[in-house]
Amino acid sequence: MLRKNPTLRHILGRAAWYFVTFLVAVTVNFFLPRLGDANPIDAILAKTNAGDSAGAREKEEAYLRQFGLAEVDAQGKVIRTADGKPVRTGLGKQFVSYLGLTLQGDLGTSFLQFPKPVSEIIKDALPWTLCLQLPTIIFGWLVGNLLGALAAYKRGVFDRIIYPLALLVSAVPAFCVGILMVYYFGIKLEWFPAVGGYDAGTTPALSSDFLSSAAYYYVMPFLSIFMIVVGGQSIGMRSMVIYELGTDYVKYAKLLGIKENKILLYTFRNAMLPQLTGLALALGAMVGGALITEIIFSYPGLGMAILTAIQGNDYPVITGCTLLITVCVLVANFSVDILVGLLDPRIRAAQAAESN
Amino acid sequence: MTDALKFQAKNISRVFGHGKKSVTAVDNVTFEIRDREIISLVGQSGCGKTVLAKMLLRLETPTSGELLFNGKPITATGDPRNHWRQVQAVFQDPFSCFNQFFTIRSQLKSSFRLFETKPSPGEIEERVDQALLAVNIKPKEVEGKYPFELSGGQMQRMLLARIFILKPQVLIADEPTSMVDACSRASILDYLLKLKEELSMTIVFVTHDIGLAYYISDSLYIMHKGKMVDRGAPDDVIKHPTSDVTKQLLEDIPDVHRQWIARGTPVHAAE
Amino acid sequence: MTVSAPVRPLEQAASGPTPKPAKSNAVLEVEDLRVHYVTRFGHKIQAVDGVSFSLKQGEILGIAGESGCGKTTLVSGCMGLYIPPLFHTSGDVRIDGKSIVGMTLEQNRKEVLGQKIAMIPQGALNSLNPTRKIKDMAADMILSHDESADKKSINDRLRERFTRIGLDADHVLNSYPVELPAGTKQRCVIGISTLLNPKVVVADEPTSALDVSTQKAVIKLLFELMDQEIISSMLFITHELPLLRHVSSSIAVMYAGEFVEYGTTEQVIFEGRQPYSRALMGSMLSAEPGQKSRKPVAIEGAPPKLDKPIPGCRFAERCPVAQPDCRTTEQVLRIVAGRQVRCKYADTEVVEQVGGGL
Repeated sequence: MLRKNPTLRHILGRAAWYFVTFLVAVTVNFFLPRLGDANPIDAILAKTNAGDSAGAREKEEAYLRQFGLAEVDAQGKVIRTADGKPVRTGLGKQFVSYLGLTLQGDLGTSFLQFPKPVSEIIKDALPWTLCLQLPTIIFGWLVGNLLGALAAYKRGVFDRIIYPLALLVSAVPAFCVGILMVYYFGIKLEWFPAVGGYDAGTTPALSSDFLSSAAYYYVMPFLSIFMIVVGGQSIGMRSMVIYELGTDYVKYAKLLGIKENKILLYTFRNAMLPQLTGLALALGAMVGGALITEIIFSYPGLGMAILTAIQGNDYPVITGCTLLITVCVLVANFSVDILVGLLDPRIRAAQAAESN
Repeated sequence: MTDALKFQAKNISRVFGHGKKSVTAVDNVTFEIRDREIISLVGQSGCGKTVLAKMLLRLETPTSGELLFNGKPITATGDPRNHWRQVQAVFQDPFSCFNQFFTIRSQLKSSFRLFETKPSPGEIEERVDQALLAVNIKPKEVEGKYPFELSGGQMQRMLLARIFILKPQVLIADEPTSMVDACSRASILDYLLKLKEELSMTIVFVTHDIGLAYYISDSLYIMHKGKMVDRGAPDDVIKHPTSDVTKQLLEDIPDVHRQWIARGTPVHAAE
Repeated sequence: MTVSAPVRPLEQAASGPTPKPAKSNAVLEVEDLRVHYVTRFGHKIQAVDGVSFSLKQGEILGIAGESGCGKTTLVSGCMGLYIPPLFHTSGDVRIDGKSIVGMTLEQNRKEVLGQKIAMIPQGALNSLNPTRKIKDMAADMILSHDESADKKSINDRLRERFTRIGLDADHVLNSYPVELPAGTKQRCVIGISTLLNPKVVVADEPTSALDVSTQKAVIKLLFELMDQEIISSMLFITHELPLLRHVSSSIAVMYAGEFVEYGTTEQVIFEGRQPYSRALMGSMLSAEPGQKSRKPVAIEGAPPKLDKPIPGCRFAERCPVAQPDCRTTEQVLRIVAGRQVRCKYADTEVVEQVGGGL
């Protein structure tokens, strides 16, 4: 069957590659934060130390067992050297247990917010990030492409306004837009709250109070990303459509007397193909993508969670979040590969030739 | 023409890809190019003539076989720039060979950068003028002009002017006339002959048109599917083609010319 | 091959169609057509300046000239494609007796383009939408002219036509252009162009950028289609005058927006009376034994820009045999030796110095 179906063969080939990439990413993910010197247990103990050395000992023991950081004997007691220091589990052994747990979906427990599981932290932060990013990217992509296509097709005054504006907006760095907005609309004009995701007086729940306050806080971060996405996408789409309008097949279609609308569909469709790739990649990078915006607006999403975790050496949370980002990017790349192959016969032919 | 050899190729091949997917572009080819000789590589698109030309330019490396330049392996000069000081090329599309954003004259002047010792600014100007005159263009005509302001034929002559400046030992001309109108074509060929006569240049002319090759060259090489299927002095190849490919090439040319010659000088306003 | 070979083309002419006696009613009539365009800087360029000809049913007219001579603009003019910056100055173009110059672009698209006059473009390989199956693009073409056509009838029509032009219809129609070899794509383009049996087919340099053997195959295909009466009359545009020897029954040589010589193929190719057309012939090089030492004619320079009127003969600047009064006396088309010529010395020995001395 594989012999007869080059497309399927291509998909399976790619899938295998992505799995290998995933394993490499997981490995890097694990070792990178652990290369540093910092001992997270000390940090936790320092924070919770009540002065009672016996209590501290007990707590330390509990943590070490919990995190699998020290060797334990048959009774479950931490093995210690002669001078009382716990025998550290080797990184290799830690990695094996991490790999096993990860594949089971257990991302471990946070050091900082002990005993909150990492998955819980992600579950709290992820909806904020998704709600902020998903609509922004999709709307921004749609609006950007529409404006870009119009600018390319209509040219004239329309183009002369949209194009420079898009260039300007997409050239300004994200943090710059964010900071300016916080300063003007948040602090000077006080139109919108400068920081946070919802009113301190409310608690996250499906109440109208909370939702309206969340919506109010939503406006500025949304706009700051939206503008950039629209700018970038419209520039890309504009040049793609201009290119397509000048191709031989468009000239030929015109000479055949094919309807203008049909020809526009040809060009838009063909110009969209690379833009779709952009969309899928943006969605993949979405989870980790709004880090800066979230930090500027102190928005309680994944970006903030990562920032807090990094500041506190909270390995399990860092590893958990980066793992999630990695998986999303890989899935997005994989779907782009498949999607573009399905939509563009030229790429399909190239893929088939490649996996032959 | 002297007996000294410029290029010697011994069983050279160029294979792209590997395993089942591999394509042999040049297949075990042996030939020699003598000093001050114009040779033509003739064949249909995809016959391997351009790949062969690129190997002479050191833009491709043979996968097997030996390629000698002036009696030494072609890579003996080390830095490819040393090779390009001696072996230069003109290509099919002169517009893509020039930067659209600079004037033609400034680009001709910048070709002096290839020399190890750059002449004085005054001498550069003078030599650019001479080169332009050599291809029959008054320096004033192109003063301040950009590539898009000239026709294909004029631009092709600019490429040749560059060769008059660089004065390499060997010129590889890859389909230099295919984007040029019929009436400028002959003049391009005449400049190639002039390069050979005046600057003692050895020229490798790559074309799909056996008519052009016949006119210009001292030796003809007919290529097909990476192999050299016919070779020799032009008149021999034309009169006694040994390969079916050559016969086909000759047959496919419109036979207008034969009849045109047969008619001799057209009759004076016949009434 | 005898010297007095019939005008009809190629070796297979014997098995080909016998040239139909040209009916008196012309399918395409161009009358003193003048077309101009306006450059970015507002200069008016008179790219076609007073061209008249008529193309009869079953006839192939070759139009030859180098790039910049106005032949492409003439084609746009004949197809009624007056899209700014291209404008119709004066004159008339009639297809089947009906003028197309006053039409709106939409009317022209619906009633003329593809329907009455169709183009076979230069770069056939890039002329098909890469993301659309052959049958879908062909169907778009039919539907654009006949909205009421139903799917089944379109399918039947396409299969019938593609089979007739020698293609494996089921396979080709369901393929994307990228999946087809170059020769097949070329056939597809010709097939789509002629789907609606246009009165006039314009072949715009269909063979340039091809090697000689492929050139021959394309021309052969065009003749096949004429035999099958899929193509009835054709304008063949090229910059290679000699090529027309095997293609057309009459030839117009164009220079600087005007016809400079217009006659039968025999007349223009073998007995040209105008220095430019003679130079185009003389520039040809071919592999004939003993011809190696013959010097081909080279004309340097480029055609004039036409942004201002040129006093005298437009070719004088480049003419190898220009006489002192050529630059001052305006030239008109006149009949010399049975064909139209624009040269003051057409009936003298002066022109014979060009491309002569064979």
